[in-house]
Amino acid sequence: MLKLTGVGKRYPDGLAALEGLDLTIRDGSFTSIVGPSGCGKSTLLRLIAGLAAPTEGAITGLDEGSIGLVFQDATLMPWADVFANVYLPFRLAGVSRVAASPRIEEALSLVGLLDFRGAYPRALSGGMRMRVAIARAIATKPRLLLMDEPFAALDEITRNKLNDDLLRLWREGDFTTIFITHSVFESVYLSTDIAVMTARPGRIFARYEIAGPTARDSEFRASAVYLDGCRAVSRDLERVMSMGAP
Amino acid sequence: MSRFLPLSVGIFVLSLWEALVRVLDVPKFILPPPSMIADALISNFPQLLDALWETFKLTVLAFAASFVGGLALAVLFVRSRLIERSFLPYALVLQVTPIVAIAPQIVIWVGVDHVERAVFILATIVAFFPILSNASLGLRSVDPGLMDLFKLYRASGVQRLWLLQLPSALPALLAGARISAGLALIGAVVAEFVAGSGEAVGLAWRISESASRLQTPLTFAALLLLSLTGLALNALVTMIEKRLLRHWHPAHGEAS
Repeated sequence: MLKLTGVGKRYPDGLAALEGLDLTIRDGSFTSIVGPSGCGKSTLLRLIAGLAAPTEGAITGLDEGSIGLVFQDATLMPWADVFANVYLPFRLAGVSRVAASPRIEEALSLVGLLDFRGAYPRALSGGMRMRVAIARAIATKPRLLLMDEPFAALDEITRNKLNDDLLRLWREGDFTTIFITHSVFESVYLSTDIAVMTARPGRIFARYEIAGPTARDSEFRASAVYLDGCRAVSRDLERVMSMGAP
Repeated sequence: MSRFLPLSVGIFVLSLWEALVRVLDVPKFILPPPSMIADALISNFPQLLDALWETFKLTVLAFAASFVGGLALAVLFVRSRLIERSFLPYALVLQVTPIVAIAPQIVIWVGVDHVERAVFILATIVAFFPILSNASLGLRSVDPGLMDLFKLYRASGVQRLWLLQLPSALPALLAGARISAGLALIGAVVAEFVAGSGEAVGLAWRISESASRLQTPLTFAALLLLSLTGLALNALVTMIEKRLLRHWHPAHGEAS
């Protein structure tokens, strides 16, 4: 269980991105973090990933070295083909290509890109690049997958498809997902847990658990659980936005 | 079509040149007709080729030295701000001082008995800076997301340099190399002109020697070889650039 207690992040210029943030994330959950733009969602994710240190509070229960990370941008190496991009985490850990090969192929087939292993990023569509980024993040079988608005730059159809694929990966895999988004609908559709953040400096404003099956489809989008969830999260977001930034 | 356009322009200009020189009876030491230049080129070909080889050899050596040195210094600069702050001003001084002005002194220091050493040093000085500045720029232009990933996966400094910074710097580095290759040739020629003694055996020496003897057709022939060498160098670096960057972006792709 990942636990954040009184976490704050203040930058050297005095600007506080986060302040007094308490959040518990259940193992195996799909937790979405929703909040107005500039509320410190990405900062929160960077703290959890260990890319930055909190200036206050503590983060416990992290299984270090077992984190996968996906950004809004696919951030692939343009000089390397799909296989080499997914091989990166193994290579940095000193694992040989041959030894890593089965894991890489498994990850690529999970995202449906095994046939594109020799392709270079610039030859791929935005959605396919994002799939490569996801394959790279899950190939090492991390316990925690962190995603920072991964599908925000994609068109709606690609986005819905990737949402369903991501849910399938998470259901079949054995990892916790923390998913940052500013889309209420996306968060309710995907998540078991939702945390709504306030405007900067960000704290947790409200928490929701979305009941219902973890296998979701278009039918779920018509269910009362989904619609009530969307209504509640939207209402909260309106409230935190009207509170405004201090 | 577009490929034949420059060729037709060339043929037209050469014909016009030939005709005008003959009709107006211009003295050959002022402006020789193209046919006479071709004659001079053919009859002096072995000597010109020897001279060309000398200049070319020094140009390539100087380019290689400036590439390795510039890249190594850029890596040091990127690793340490302190080193960069201490040395960058001096690199700039070398860059902004006209090479012709330094050349005589360098020739006196190292070139009295070994002109080729002076030529090598001067050509290297000229070719050095574009590599240094472009490599520094390139090494810093790393995708911040990839930087984060390398941090997440606990990459070592060597891994970050080798697997991330150097590949990221490649486009800028190669652009610098293209400029640098041209400058190395210019540097070598300038140095030969300044050295200007019987020791110098390069193409620039042939040009200045033939010019002083009013062997203008030979001057033009040597000039032509020099231009062709510059073009060939540029084409070579561009080809390497295209080959190495073919997967990067559309500007270098085979699809473009």
